[in-house]
Amino acid sequence: MSLPPSFLNQRLPLADLLDLRSFAEVCHSFSELYRVGLKVFDEEGNRLVDVKVGNADFCGYLWSKPAGRARCMETVGRVKSERLAEEARPVTFACFSGCRYVVQPILYEGDCLGRVVFGPFVPEEERELPEALLGHADLDPRRAASYQSKIRRVPMGTAGKILKHFMDLVDVLVFTGHKNLIAAKLHIEAVRESYRELSEKNQKLAESYSALKELDRLKSSFLATMSHELRTPLTSVIGYSEMMLEGLGGPLTAEQREYLGIIMEKGENLLQLITSILDISKIEAGRVRLVLSEVDVCQLMRDAVATLLPLARKRGLKVSCEPVQLPRIHADRDKLRQCLVNLCSNAVKFTPAGGSVVVRGEALGGERLAIHVTDSGIGISEEHLAKVFEVFFQVDGSTTREYGGAGLGLAIVKSYVEAHGGEVQVRSAPGAGSTFTVVLPIRSAAAGPLVTPVPSAAAAGGVR
Amino acid sequence: MVLFNSDSREIAVKVVYYGPALSGKTTNLQSLFQKIDPCVRGRLMTLDTKDDRTLFFDMMPVFFRTRSGVKVKLKLYTVPGQVMHESTRRIVLQGSDAVAFVADSRRSEAASTLAYWNDMLKNLEANGLDWRSLPIVVQMNKRDLPDARGDGELDDLRSVIQPPVLPAVAIRGEGVVETLYAVLQRCYRSLDRAFSLDERLQIPEREFLGQIFSHVDLRGTHLPAEGAAGR
Ligand SMILES: Nc1nc2c(ncn2[C@@H]2O[C@H](COP(=O)(O)OP(=O)(O)O)[C@@H](O)[C@H]2O)c(=O)[nH]1
Ligand SMILES: Nc1ncnc2c1ncn2[C@@H]1O[C@H](COP(=O)(O)OP(=O)(O)O)[C@@H](O)[C@H]1O
Ligand SMILES: [Mg+2]
Ligand SMILES: [Mg+2]
Repeated sequence: MSLPPSFLNQRLPLADLLDLRSFAEVCHSFSELYRVGLKVFDEEGNRLVDVKVGNADFCGYLWSKPAGRARCMETVGRVKSERLAEEARPVTFACFSGCRYVVQPILYEGDCLGRVVFGPFVPEEERELPEALLGHADLDPRRAASYQSKIRRVPMGTAGKILKHFMDLVDVLVFTGHKNLIAAKLHIEAVRESYRELSEKNQKLAESYSALKELDRLKSSFLATMSHELRTPLTSVIGYSEMMLEGLGGPLTAEQREYLGIIMEKGENLLQLITSILDISKIEAGRVRLVLSEVDVCQLMRDAVATLLPLARKRGLKVSCEPVQLPRIHADRDKLRQCLVNLCSNAVKFTPAGGSVVVRGEALGGERLAIHVTDSGIGISEEHLAKVFEVFFQVDGSTTREYGGAGLGLAIVKSYVEAHGGEVQVRSAPGAGSTFTVVLPIRSAAAGPLVTPVPSAAAAGGVR
Repeated sequence: MVLFNSDSREIAVKVVYYGPALSGKTTNLQSLFQKIDPCVRGRLMTLDTKDDRTLFFDMMPVFFRTRSGVKVKLKLYTVPGQVMHESTRRIVLQGSDAVAFVADSRRSEAASTLAYWNDMLKNLEANGLDWRSLPIVVQMNKRDLPDARGDGELDDLRSVIQPPVLPAVAIRGEGVVETLYAVLQRCYRSLDRAFSLDERLQIPEREFLGQIFSHVDLRGTHLPAEGAAGR
């Protein structure tokens, strides 16, 4: 991080400090008042202002003679560029023609910014034309004298005073000009600097955002690989337990049976969990395809309820299925079954003993149908309602939470249903149970890859 | 310090008065303006436009020519203390040779003083300036107010921070010249280390300080007449 150089640290030329147009006006009216010419040069010798009063004929006449021209140029050169002491007092320059200039440096903050040239004027003390000039062969003395009389006569002392007055004026103008310049430029630089700082921060944010995205991608692919690797040995564990239970390894005691039963049950739970992680990572990687066929939704509903029935009984819940008459639909059977199982298992999981779970079908207009999974359980508060479909989101996210699960079930439901061109809705209130509704088109159009993005809870809470 | 083309023999030195809003930075410059002879200083420029920009900023030039013929142009700046002028503070700090940190010594101001101190360190760094080596002095201003820290607490402060701590009542002109003296003395020494002011430009410390402080009203300060000695 480094700042561009500020104008505060630069030396400013006279032209930048003055508003040249209004300064020229001031010079003109000043010149008119005193009827004497005025020139202002900057430090480099550039002429910023030039007001001629009264001397045009006289100087023009001398200029028309070669000798006069040379000496005139010499005077002008000295007046304009001869080194001046850096002191606030006038220096007098005499012209060969008898005229005078008084010159004073413009000093500001210890710098010499240029000079003011006041003149030419004819000193009151020496009104006559110099001898040298009159002796000149090709000059008509009467004509020269009449031209000279058009130039203002000023006592030398007065000339110094007039110049001092003008220098005071210049000093104030330069100061106010400088002040205005600083106010304006500092403001601009400050805005530019704030912008620069913001862009820098934005850049950093963008970088950390893409780093986050990359991490998210790595996470998905890690999960996919790991769950695949975990599933294979786990299936063996379950399979061999099953074989032993069936007596293939010899007779078992009642106790051994009970233990094996527990191993199998926990193994199945674990397998389900791993499967859903695998599913979600496939979804996130966009690697899921729907396999469409004619599906009997009523059958699917009954299947799902049957799967959950043993668990529901054990927990003391009443479960009912009201399939009504529903048309067959064009869909991915396995994925829809999984959706219903996920919804039912949530309903069972989040409903305390004595409660009920109802699975109900409904034919909607517009070639659509709905499946409602209603429970009388703990419900979901308003603030959490929108988040339950996010990956890994759980209302109770603590490690010591009461209910198991990885927070993937609803995310999978949402992705699968949306892949069918349908949608999931939820209505719930704390303590008043929940209803999850899946709305599906009868003919699912989408058979392509499933690309519905499922925002993960972490990304949703972070930079988006 | 900026060294203008070495044959023109001219140097520019920048000193910044930094601190929270209303700590007394402008008051310091106003008091110096009164005490320094106009022959070595220019006008005090004060920007206090009350329009939507509300930019507060002051600048005063001090200049002299050394016996060796070097023109020294010293500029004293204040930063706008308002929080929203963060970026302007950073700009004003650019290229500074020394800093006088003006703090309101009331206990109630401690938190904002610390915040601005940290803000300054950050902004110095942003300008590529190293606060460990930059000459910095701390002025504890407004010692006349009831809630101000006592001498004992100032001593405590001295024992924990490296920069010198100077007490002041800027509104009465007390401690203002001492602060400038302290900051310029450190400033000279640091510039001398970097640019050999004494050897290369023949500007000894006594003269550097003397050229300024012989033109400063030293009444009421404990500063030695050394100021006048350099004349
Ligand atoms: N009591 C007291 N008030 C002070 C002192 N120095 C400055 N002030 C007042 O504090 C206010 C802010 O001062 P100013 O110099 O404008 O602060 P800046 O924002 O740092 O430039 C003004 O009302 C000053 O009169 C001091 O030493 N004692
Ligand atoms: N029927 C329900 N009643 C109350 N809360 C529910 C219900 N279904 C889902 N939830 C809430 O939504 C969260 C996410 O559900 P889900 O994605 O299936 O993950 P899991 O079941 O693994 O926790 C659950 O942890 C729970 O907080
Ligand atoms: Mg679940
Ligand atoms: Mg101020």
